[in-house]
Amino acid sequence: MTDTPDHISAKAFMAELERYRKGSVSRRHFLGVTGLGMATTVLGSAMPSLITRPAYAQGSIGDSVVLATWPNYHDPASFDAFTELTGAAVQVNVFGSNEEMLAKLQAGGSGWDVFVPTNYTITTYVDEGLIDPLDLSKIPNYDAASFDERFASPGTVNGMLYAASKDWGTTGMAVNTSQTNGRVLTSWKDFWEITQAEFSGRTTVHDYQLTTIGNALKSFGYSFNSVDPAELAKAEELLLAVKPHLFAITSDYQPPMRSGDAWLAMCWTGDAKQLNKDIPEIQYILGKEGGEIWSDFYAIPKGAPHLDAAYALINFLLDPAINYKEAMFHGQPVADARVNAMMSAEMMADPIIHPAAELLSALEFGAAATLTDPNRAELMARFKSA
Amino acid sequence: MSPKLINRLLLAPAGLWLLTMLVLPIVVVVVFSFGERAQAGGYVPAFTLEQYLNLPARWKAFQNTLTLAPVGTLIVLLIAYPLAYYLAIKANPKWRTLLLILVIVPFWTSILIRSYAWIFILGGRGIPAILEFFGLEGIRLINTPFAVLAGIVYGYLPLMVFPIYVSLERLDKRLLEASADLGSPPWRSFLQITLPLSLPGVATGCMLVFILLMGEFLIPAMLGGGKVFFVGNALVDLFLQSRNWPFGSAVAVALVLVMLVSVTIYMRAIKRWGNGRDDVSLM
Amino acid sequence: MRIYAIAVYLFLYIPIGIIALFSFSAGRNASEFAGFSVKWYGKALSNPFVMDALQTSLTVALISAIIAAVFGTMAALALQNMTGRSRAFFDALIYIAVMIPGIVIGISTLIAIVTVFGWLNPILVAIWPAEGPAPQLAMGLGTLIAAHSLFNMALVIIIVRARIAGMDRSFTEASADLYATPFGTFRQITLPLIQPGILAGFLLSFTFSFDDFIIAFFVAGSNTTLPIYVFSSIRRGVTPEINAIGTMVLSLSLILLITAQILLQRKRTT
Repeated sequence: MTDTPDHISAKAFMAELERYRKGSVSRRHFLGVTGLGMATTVLGSAMPSLITRPAYAQGSIGDSVVLATWPNYHDPASFDAFTELTGAAVQVNVFGSNEEMLAKLQAGGSGWDVFVPTNYTITTYVDEGLIDPLDLSKIPNYDAASFDERFASPGTVNGMLYAASKDWGTTGMAVNTSQTNGRVLTSWKDFWEITQAEFSGRTTVHDYQLTTIGNALKSFGYSFNSVDPAELAKAEELLLAVKPHLFAITSDYQPPMRSGDAWLAMCWTGDAKQLNKDIPEIQYILGKEGGEIWSDFYAIPKGAPHLDAAYALINFLLDPAINYKEAMFHGQPVADARVNAMMSAEMMADPIIHPAAELLSALEFGAAATLTDPNRAELMARFKSA
Repeated sequence: MSPKLINRLLLAPAGLWLLTMLVLPIVVVVVFSFGERAQAGGYVPAFTLEQYLNLPARWKAFQNTLTLAPVGTLIVLLIAYPLAYYLAIKANPKWRTLLLILVIVPFWTSILIRSYAWIFILGGRGIPAILEFFGLEGIRLINTPFAVLAGIVYGYLPLMVFPIYVSLERLDKRLLEASADLGSPPWRSFLQITLPLSLPGVATGCMLVFILLMGEFLIPAMLGGGKVFFVGNALVDLFLQSRNWPFGSAVAVALVLVMLVSVTIYMRAIKRWGNGRDDVSLM
Repeated sequence: MRIYAIAVYLFLYIPIGIIALFSFSAGRNASEFAGFSVKWYGKALSNPFVMDALQTSLTVALISAIIAAVFGTMAALALQNMTGRSRAFFDALIYIAVMIPGIVIGISTLIAIVTVFGWLNPILVAIWPAEGPAPQLAMGLGTLIAAHSLFNMALVIIIVRARIAGMDRSFTEASADLYATPFGTFRQITLPLIQPGILAGFLLSFTFSFDDFIIAFFVAGSNTTLPIYVFSSIRRGVTPEINAIGTMVLSLSLILLITAQILLQRKRTT
C-alpha cells in the first residue's frame, strides 16, 4: 500500500473514473489509484462494503438519493464517484439557512434522504421529531474516536447519535483588499462602518438570521446569541441603517465577489478559502469582537424515501479518502483525525482554515434558542422587507 | 335532459374544483390568520388579532408592490401595444402567426433562466462595463428597482401582447379604409376606431400583468438581491424562513384584500371610461 | 413600425442568445466563456434528474391544460345560459381564482393540504381493510396538477367566454330555427366559433403550468419540476448545464412551431 497515492487531483480522479467507466481499467485499479482502495486497505473489515458487500451492487440501494445541503459545499466529482460505485445518482438541493431547512421539513414531504444541519439546530430537530437516530452499523466509516469532541458532540442528543460530523468552520468576512486603499478591517464594527461609507453598495450579508443579526450584535459587544430585546433593538437599528448600503442579502455570495460586483461579504470559511485560492486579493478576516464558530453534520430526516441510499451516501462521504477530497474542494476544516492526518502541513497551518487559537477562543457556537426565537426571526424578516 | 340539468352537469367539475382548491384553502388561511405561531414555528389554534395588528411591520413590502406593480404594468403596456398593433394590422399575414408565436417562445424557457441572463446583462460585466467603456463609471444596475423592472417587462411582455393582439385582430380593417377614404388622418382613425376597439384587450392584458405582479416573488428575489422586497417575498420568507404561518396567513389575506380593492377600482374605472360598453370588462 | 417590432424582438431574444452562447462554454462557470464545447449538452441529457424533471413538468402541464380546457369550456358554455344569483356566485369565484396571486395559492394550498391530510391520514389508517400499511395522502403530482388546474380553468373560462360574447347570436338562433338539435348546433356552429378561444386557453394554460415555479415550490412535495430543478441549480452555483437545458427546450419548441407553421401553409396552398 506504500505505492498507493494519498490523493489525486479531481481532474485525474475524473479521468480515472472515465477510464473505469469505459472498462479500460479494472475496478481494483480504479479503487487503488483514486485512493478509494487505500481506505479499504487501511480500514480493512471496517469497510467491507466497497470491496465485496453486495449491498453496494449497482441499483441495490435504488437509483437516486436526495441531499439537502449548503452552497459550494461538495466536490461534484464525489457524487459522480458515488453514482459510479452504487448506481444511485445524487440530487443536490441547496439552502442558505438552517431556518429554510427546518421550514421545509416541518411542512412535510421534503423528499430528502440526507441533509446538513448545523450544530445548534439538532436538538430542535430531535424535539420536533423530524430526524431519526443514525444506525451506526450502516455507517462503518463513522469512527467516533477519531472525531474532535468539540465539533462532533452536538450530533449526540440524549445519548443517541442523530448526526455525523461533516466539517466545521467560522463565520468571518471576505474582503477584496484591492479596493480598500490599504485600510485593514479587523472587527465587525469596521465591517458595518465601511459598508456605510467607502463600500456602500458593495457589501453582502447572509440571508440567515443567526449570522447577520449575530454579527450586528457583536459590533456592540453583545453575545452573538443574544435574545435580549434591548440588544436586539440596537442590532435592528444598525441593520436598518446599513440596508440601503448593501449590495445584496444572500448566502451565495461567491458569484458577486468573483465578478467584482461585491467587495465585502459576510463569509464562511470554505467560501473564503475557495475565493482566496482563485483571487488572492480576497482575504478572510475574523472579527476581533468574536463571532460564530460552527460545525455541520449529516443527518437523515424521518421518512427519508431512500433510506439505504441515504446511509450509503453518508458512509461514502465519511470515508476518510473521500472526505479528504471533499475538504480539498470546499476548504473547510474537518473534525476527523483520520482526514487531518492526510492533510499537508501547509493545509493544517492555513490561517483561513485553521485560524490562530486566540482568534478562535473569542468565537461562540450558535445556541438552540436562536433558531426558534420568534423575535430574532421577525427581526430578520423586518430587516429584509424594510 | 332538460337544459337546466345539462347546464348543471357542465358546471359541476369546475364548481367542484373551485370549492376544493379555492374556497377551502381560503377558509383555512383565514382561520390560520387568527392563530398563533408555535414555539418552533408553524401554527397553534387560537383567536387573536395579534397577526393583523403586526401588519404594519410589512408596510414597506406593500408599498414596494403597490408602486412597482402599476408602474411595471404601464411600461409593459406601452411596449406591448405598438407590437400588438404591428402584428395585428401591419404585419404580412403570411408571417403573422409565426411572429406571434415568436413572442411567446421565450416564455418557454424557464423565467428563472431568463432572469439569470439578466443577472449577467445588468451585472458588473454586462451593461455597466459597456457604459464604462463610454466613460460612464460607477453605474450599478443589478439589485436595484430598475433591474426588477427590466425583469418584469421582459417576463410579462407576451402576456400583454396576446390579449391586445386578439382584440385588434377582430377589428374589421374596412373600417380603417373607410375612415381614410373619408379623409380622416391616421391618428384620428387610431383614436376613434382602433383604440376603442382594442380596449377589451388592453383591459385584459393590464389585469393579467397587474395581478401577476402583485404576487411576484421570483424576479425581485433574483434581480433585487433580497433588497427590493415585494409582498410575495415577505410571504415566502414568513413560510420558508421564520415559519410564522399565522402571520403569513394574515399577510396573505391582506394582500388578497388589497388586490380585490385595487382591481375592483380599476374595473370600475375601465367601465366608466368605456362608457358602459358591455364588452369592456373581464366578466 | 417595423423597426420598433425588430427592436422588441431583439430585446426578447438577446438574453436568450446569451443563454445559448454560454451553453457552449467549456468552463464550469456559467458567466464566463471558456472555449467552445458541447459537453454540457451531454451532461444535461445524461443527468437523470433533468430528464425526470422535464418529464414531470410536461406531464403536469399537459394534464392540467387538458383538464382546464375541457372543464373550463364546459363551464363557460353553461355560465352563458345562466343568470341571477348562482351566476354571480360563480363569476365571483372565477374572478377570485384569477386574481389570487400564485404565491397565495401555493401557500394556502400547502397549509390546507397539510391540515386536511393531517386529519384524513389517521382515518385512512383506521379504516384500511387490507394487510400492510395504509396508503398515506401526501403532496405530490396530484396536488400540483389540481392547483395548476384551478388557475388554468379560470383562465380558459374567461377566454372562451370572451369569445362567446363576441359571437354573433344569430348563427345559433338560425341553427335552432332550422331544427338543429342543441348538440348539433354546438358541434357545427358554436364549437368552431369558440375553438380559437379554447386553443388559446389551452396554450396559455400549458405555458403557465410549464413555467410555474412558485405554486410548485410549495405543493409539489418531493417532486421536482423543471423550474424547481433550475432554481436549485442556480442556488447551487450555475454551470452551463442549465443554459444547455434552456437552449434545448427552446430549440425544440421553435422547431415544432416552425414545422407546424410550414405544414399549415402547405395545406393552405394546395
